[in-house]
Amino acid sequence: MKLKTTAGLIASLLGAALIAAPAQAQDARIALLGGISGPIAAMAPPMIAASELAVKQVNEQGGIGNGGTLRHVVGDSACNPQNATDAATKAVNIDRVIGIVGPHCSGAVLAAANSVAVPAGVLMITPSGTSPQITAIDDKDLVFRTVPSDDYQGRALARTIKERGMAKVAVAYLNNDYGKGLAESFKAEFEALGGEIAGYSAHEDGKASYRSDLAQLARGGADTLVIFDYGDGTGLTLLRQALENNFFTNYVGADGMKSDAVIRELGADNLETFFTSAPVGEASESLENFRAAFSAAGGNPDAIFTTTAYDAAFLMALAIEKAGGDRAKLSESLRAVASAPGEPILPGEWAKAKQLIAEGKDIDYKGAAGDHEFNQAGDVAGNYAFFKVSGDTYEAIADMK
Amino acid sequence: MAIIDFINFYIVPGLLLGSIYAVGAIGITMVFGILRFAHFAHGDMATMGAFIALAVVGLFGVTPWTALPIAMVLTAILAVGIDRTFYDYLRKRPAILTVMASLGVALMLRSLVQVIWGVDPQTYQRGIVRPDTYFGILLRPRELYTFLSVIVIVVALTIFLRASKWGKAMRAMSDNPDLARLSGVDNRMVTLLLWTIVGALCAASGFMLAINTELTPMMGWFLLLPMFAAAILGGVGRVEGAVLGGLIVGMVEELSVLVMPGQYKAATAFVILLLILLVRPRGLLNGKVL
Repeated sequence: MKLKTTAGLIASLLGAALIAAPAQAQDARIALLGGISGPIAAMAPPMIAASELAVKQVNEQGGIGNGGTLRHVVGDSACNPQNATDAATKAVNIDRVIGIVGPHCSGAVLAAANSVAVPAGVLMITPSGTSPQITAIDDKDLVFRTVPSDDYQGRALARTIKERGMAKVAVAYLNNDYGKGLAESFKAEFEALGGEIAGYSAHEDGKASYRSDLAQLARGGADTLVIFDYGDGTGLTLLRQALENNFFTNYVGADGMKSDAVIRELGADNLETFFTSAPVGEASESLENFRAAFSAAGGNPDAIFTTTAYDAAFLMALAIEKAGGDRAKLSESLRAVASAPGEPILPGEWAKAKQLIAEGKDIDYKGAAGDHEFNQAGDVAGNYAFFKVSGDTYEAIADMK
Repeated sequence: MAIIDFINFYIVPGLLLGSIYAVGAIGITMVFGILRFAHFAHGDMATMGAFIALAVVGLFGVTPWTALPIAMVLTAILAVGIDRTFYDYLRKRPAILTVMASLGVALMLRSLVQVIWGVDPQTYQRGIVRPDTYFGILLRPRELYTFLSVIVIVVALTIFLRASKWGKAMRAMSDNPDLARLSGVDNRMVTLLLWTIVGALCAASGFMLAINTELTPMMGWFLLLPMFAAAILGGVGRVEGAVLGGLIVGMVEELSVLVMPGQYKAATAFVILLLILLVRPRGLLNGKVL
């Protein structure tokens, strides 16, 4: 008899625990996936830190829903499709996340979206997957990005260097979705402007020598080498070997090459003719808010993609709040909180946003990297600047149209 | 294209790359010849060796080339330790278990490198080095030293294997382990010596790759395929075959861009590997059949 009572007591306790569970379920879980190891390893930590800043601000200013917390897990997508798929699968199946911020690299985004996020119905916002191919994913409106497509960047870079008098160039691109996407957009625009592409070739990651590749490219007589690669990976090897052998006079990279590792390992005095393009936040109150908060948190707001990484996480949080934690409504809510019209919300203004959402008012997030008015494909328009090396960092020398 | 450009930008880089592959392939071929298993941790052991040299440079402020012998000794000790800890215990079991264990060791070594030194690319010396001209041929000091080191290593190893008592014992183990044991060759001593040599060679190949490019945690892993291709091409178990194979693979990779788009460069080692297994599995110099 006594045993039965105890069993009954335990059963009712268990039942109570089960009923009480939904109160806890207000916690929302998201994953931050990034290329922590691999060719963009030097870029990833500040990006993750920027996303974590957004999560921290959310939790400091009232959290999610009614007393819930925004929880995050960090996963390593290693800038390659296999690792990204593994990391996304783990995040979705084991950590039970409802949204993914990341991955960072285009190939990783394509793989994680196609094989995990879209089938599982998980919202994905990448802060740095820039390949034009991401536009074309059949994504059931689940894949967004806070960084503009490289289609814009490749074309803007072509116009900028043509204007600067580099009319005959060779193009070396990394044979992945990022490099290929950029190279194709660049080539189309550069040739349309009457420029000459005197060498155009892809290369694989991780080889020890690219001297014969470079010699082949230099044979066309170009004085400028355009490198679409990562400055933390093969791009560094390629640039070193090109500089050491004087294959070209000018070197131009896109955002992937704008890495501190390039300056640290090659030395600023060797990089006087090295330029890169990169997306920049337009000067705005939003950007100032972010810069102040990120500096205060010990981050470097000039590190590449930190603004987009912050915005991606903040937008994810807004969407979750707006949707009331309902996974099925996330993408619709994301469009609602990101698009005009609505009360403007700046980076860090979580408490204000939360209150407006609770009152049922429409809000419009104005991010550190831009307004983030998503188009049909989940893409945003962007601003780019042209950088040169100055001291031990990069300095913007011109806006790119 | 001028002949001198061809030498400078295709032949010299090909030989340099080939020399690095050769030093790595010697280790692979020796492990296979004597212990009869494919050592997958070879590339990551090379990474480890290169990073140990970086640590020596950082700690004692010596030049990278002075750090190399120290790194070779330390990596040799590490290799012996790995053998005693992981492989020794599997020796009586089927070889495939040791192969899989070596894959695990590879992952462990790589993670260790990532934990200790981080994942950013690093170099022994900052900045770039413009080449000197020798009769029109462009060479950097580091390339000259690389060629010299490879020659010293190969010559010293050949003399050791041909002339010394333990070298002969190793060759005997490689030719016929049972007969060698019957003739009183100390199995454990040969294994110890083998891993000492293999560790040192790993450090040398990793170091030479790193000083000619950068240090990254993945650098050794990317070397594995061309090194295996070189070892099999030359004939498994043949040290001179590994050298020949390494030089051929390096040269073919660099020359491949003349006839193929650059993105297929990485595939050339694969193609060589497939062809040699199909056409002449003994390798060029009659190694053991796999």
